[in-house]
Amino acid sequence: MRTLTEDQIEIGAVLPELSIDLTPTVVVSTALATMDFTPVHHDVEGARAQGSKDIFLNILTTMGLVERYVTDWTGPEAIIRRINVKLGVPAYAGDRLDFNGTVVTQDGPDYTVEVRGKVSLGDHATATVTFTLPSDRTI
Amino acid sequence: MFGTRAAIAGIGATEFSKDSGRSELRLAAEAVFAALDDAGLDPSDVDGMVTFTQDTNQEIAVAREIGAGELTFFSRVEYGGGAACGTVAHAAMAVATGMARTVVCYRAFNERSGRRFGQPDARLGGQPTSQGLEMSWHVPFGLMTPAAWVAMFAQRYLHTYGATSEDFGRVAVAMRRHAATNPAAWFYQRPITLEEHQASRWIVEPLRLFDCCQESDGAVALVVTSAERARDLRRSPAVVTAAAQGSAEGQMMMTSYYRDDMSGLPEMSVVGRRLWEMSGLKPQDVRTAILYDHFTPFVLAQLEELGFCGRGEAPGFVRDGGIELGGRLPVNPHGGQLGEAYIHGMNGIAEAVRQIRGTSANQVSGVEHVLVTAGTGVPTSGLILSAG
Amino acid sequence: MTETGTRTDTGTSSEDALLELAEKQAALGEVRGGPAADPVNIPMIRHWLDAMGDTNRSYLDQGIAPPAMAQVWTMPGVRRGVKERSPVDDVLAALDAAGYTGVVATNCEQTYHRPARVGERLTAATRFSGLVGPKRTALGEGYFATWNVTWYGEGDAPVAEMMFRVLKFRPRRRRETPAPASGSAPAASSAQRSGVAPYPLRPAQNRDTAFFWEGVRQGELRIQSCADCGRLRHPPGPVCPSCRSTNRSFVVARGEGTVFSYVVHHHPPVPGREMPFVVAVVELPEGVRIVGNVVDCPPDAVGIGMELRATYRAMDDEVILPMWAPRES
Repeated sequence: MRTLTEDQIEIGAVLPELSIDLTPTVVVSTALATMDFTPVHHDVEGARAQGSKDIFLNILTTMGLVERYVTDWTGPEAIIRRINVKLGVPAYAGDRLDFNGTVVTQDGPDYTVEVRGKVSLGDHATATVTFTLPSDRTI
Repeated sequence: MFGTRAAIAGIGATEFSKDSGRSELRLAAEAVFAALDDAGLDPSDVDGMVTFTQDTNQEIAVAREIGAGELTFFSRVEYGGGAACGTVAHAAMAVATGMARTVVCYRAFNERSGRRFGQPDARLGGQPTSQGLEMSWHVPFGLMTPAAWVAMFAQRYLHTYGATSEDFGRVAVAMRRHAATNPAAWFYQRPITLEEHQASRWIVEPLRLFDCCQESDGAVALVVTSAERARDLRRSPAVVTAAAQGSAEGQMMMTSYYRDDMSGLPEMSVVGRRLWEMSGLKPQDVRTAILYDHFTPFVLAQLEELGFCGRGEAPGFVRDGGIELGGRLPVNPHGGQLGEAYIHGMNGIAEAVRQIRGTSANQVSGVEHVLVTAGTGVPTSGLILSAG
Repeated sequence: MTETGTRTDTGTSSEDALLELAEKQAALGEVRGGPAADPVNIPMIRHWLDAMGDTNRSYLDQGIAPPAMAQVWTMPGVRRGVKERSPVDDVLAALDAAGYTGVVATNCEQTYHRPARVGERLTAATRFSGLVGPKRTALGEGYFATWNVTWYGEGDAPVAEMMFRVLKFRPRRRRETPAPASGSAPAASSAQRSGVAPYPLRPAQNRDTAFFWEGVRQGELRIQSCADCGRLRHPPGPVCPSCRSTNRSFVVARGEGTVFSYVVHHHPPVPGREMPFVVAVVELPEGVRIVGNVVDCPPDAVGIGMELRATYRAMDDEVILPMWAPRES
C-alpha cells in the first residue's frame, strides 16, 4: 500500500469508514495484546458483577484502533505524532464500532484528523489525531 | 380479475435445519435452482425477482449466482413476514402487466444460526426514522420481542372471549401432529400433547414456549409465470386467483395497540375481504388453508377475520378438531411454522401449491382452492391459489 | 463524558482534605517506576498488530513499535502484587473513602516524540497533576483527577507522554451491585467504569416527539393535543389526522390509568432488565392509551382493569421512563 502525498490530502477530506464487529474475541484478544488483564475486559461474569452488561474494550485498544483507523488511510509511512481521545460510552462485546473521520487542519507538516468512533449507545471515542508525512520520500 | 392471469409454476426449497452451514446467498441460489427445475425452466428464462425487504440477498446477487441474464422487474415487499404472499402478488402483477415473463420469489436466511428475530435487539428503537420512533414507544419498556408484542394482543383475546391458554395450546398440538407425518418438517415424528404444551415454560405470559414457532435456517423459492404458459410446463399450475396486501387504520409494526379493539387483526380482515371479493369465492369453497402461525393466538384471530368462523368462535372451532386433518378446515397440513419450519411464511405457499397439485405429504382430498396468509400483527398479505 | 459540571458551593472540611492531599501528591513531582519487564520486542508488536487488525507493515519492517503501544510496555501484568505505588494511588483511595467510588475515564491524550525501537527498555514516570471538584456531572457529584505519564527510553529524552483523566463520582443510585472500588493500578488500569451502567434501551426522539420525553424528565405525562381542533393523540405525530393542522400543543395527563392489556416477560433476557417484568397497555381517562411497565407489585397481581398511577423511574443518568404503580400503593 502507498502512503498518501501532501497533494492528496485536503482539509475537509473524509476518511473511508471502518466498521469493527466487537466480537468477544476482539475484546479479549486486544485486552491481552495490550497487557490489560482487568477482568471487565475478558470475564463476562466479572463485568456483570460491576454493573456492566458485558465485557468491553479497554482504553489502550481504543487508542490502538484510532491509530489504525488513521494509518489505514494515510498508508504506512505517515508518522503519528499525537492522539487525543475523549472517552464516551463503553464499547461492549456484541456491539459494532463504526469509525468516521475528517481532515480538519494543516499546520506546516502536521495534519490533524477528527475521528469519531460510534457504538449503538452513542459516541465511544471522539479523537483528534495529528500526523506528518515523511518529507524526504520519493514517489 | 387480475387473478387467473398468473400462476405458480415451480416451487423449491433447501432442507430446513437449525444450522445450514452455508451462506444465505447460497441457500437462496439452491432454492431458486430447485424451483426452476421443478417448473422445467432454465435460469436464462428468469427476468424478474421479488423478495422481502428483510432478505439479505439482493435480487442481483441471486441473479448472478444462478446465472440469470437480464432482469426487467425487481421488487421488495415490506413488513417482515407480512411480505410472504406479497411477493407472489407483486410477481403476478408483473406477469399480468407484461413487465416480466418469469418471476422468481425467494426468501433465504440463517434465522436460527445467524441473526435470530426472537432475540432482543437494542437498536430497534435507536434511530429517529418513522419505525424507530414507533418502536420507541415500546422498546424502552423492554417490550421488544415478537413473542412479547403478540402476547399483548393474546392477553386481550383471552379476556374478551373468555379463552384459555389451552385454546392456544390446541393450535400448537394440531400443527405438531401435522408435522409428525411430514418428512420435510423439523418436528417430523415428534408430536406434542396438550399436557406438554401446558407444562412448557412461560416465554412472555400468556404465551408458553410451545405457543412460539421454532427458528430455522433455510430457503424457499417460487416461480411465477402466466397461467397460460404454466399449463404447458412440467407441473400443473397453481393459479393465482386472488392476491392482496392489507394495512388497516392505525397500523403499526406488531404494536397496533391504540385501536379501539385489540382482540382481532383488522389488517387481515382487509386482506380477507379483498381475497373473497376478487375470487368470488366464499370460505366454504376453501378445503384447506395455510394460516401464518408464528404464534398460536393469531391462528385463532385469522380464522375469525377471514370468515371461517364468527368472532370469538375460533377456540370452539379448534376444540372440535376443525383445523386438523379430517376437520372442517385443515390448517397447515405441512405442520406450519410451528411444526415444519420458519421460513417467514414462504414454506406455507409451497405447501399450498403441493395441495393443489395433490402431492403433499398430508394431502387433503378434493382441493381446488387454498387460501394462504402471511405474517400477522404486521401489514400483511394473502393469496387464493386454485387448480387449473 | 464531557466536563460540563459546575463547581458546587458547599465547601466542607473533607473537600479541603482531599484537595490538600492532591496538592501534596502533585508536589512529589514525577515519580519514576522500574524498567519495563520486557524490552520493546517483535513478538509483542506482532501480537498487538494482529489483535488490532492493523496491517501496517512499516513497524515490523523498521523494527519500531506502533506509537499507541507506548503504555503497553510498562503495564503491570497479571500479578498485580509486584506493581509499584504511584502518586496517584493515594488520591484515588481517598476519593473512594469519601464516597466517590464510581470511576469513569474521560480523556486520554498521548504525544509521541519518537518511535520506541526494538531492543530498548522503557521506563514510566508518573506525576499527579491535579484534582478539580467537587462538580456536578451527568453521573453525579465528582472530582476530575488528572495525571501524566512519561515514558523514557535508555536516555533522558522522552519517547512518549500521556495525560489521563478520570472522573471519580458519588453514584447517585445503587443498582444491583455497589459501584466498584477504583482501580488498583491507576496509571495502567484503563477500565471505563461507571457506577450506573447506561440503560441500553434508549428511545429515539425527534422534533415531533421530544416534548413527551422533556415532560417525562419533569415528571409530567404529556399528551399531544391539536391546537386547532383539540384532538388528543398518543403516540404523537407531526400532523393532526383529524384536521391536518400542524399546530401542536399538549395537555398534562392526570397520571392515572387502568390496565387494558399486559404481558409478563420471562424469556429471552432483555438487556437492562431483570426478568420477569410486566409491560402494559394503559388506558388513560383522557382517552388515549400508552405503553409502560407496571412496577411496585408482583407480576401475578397485575390484571386487566387494575387501577394505576404514573411514576417516573431513572434508568441511568439520562434516561427516565414513565411507569405505572398500583394506585392504592
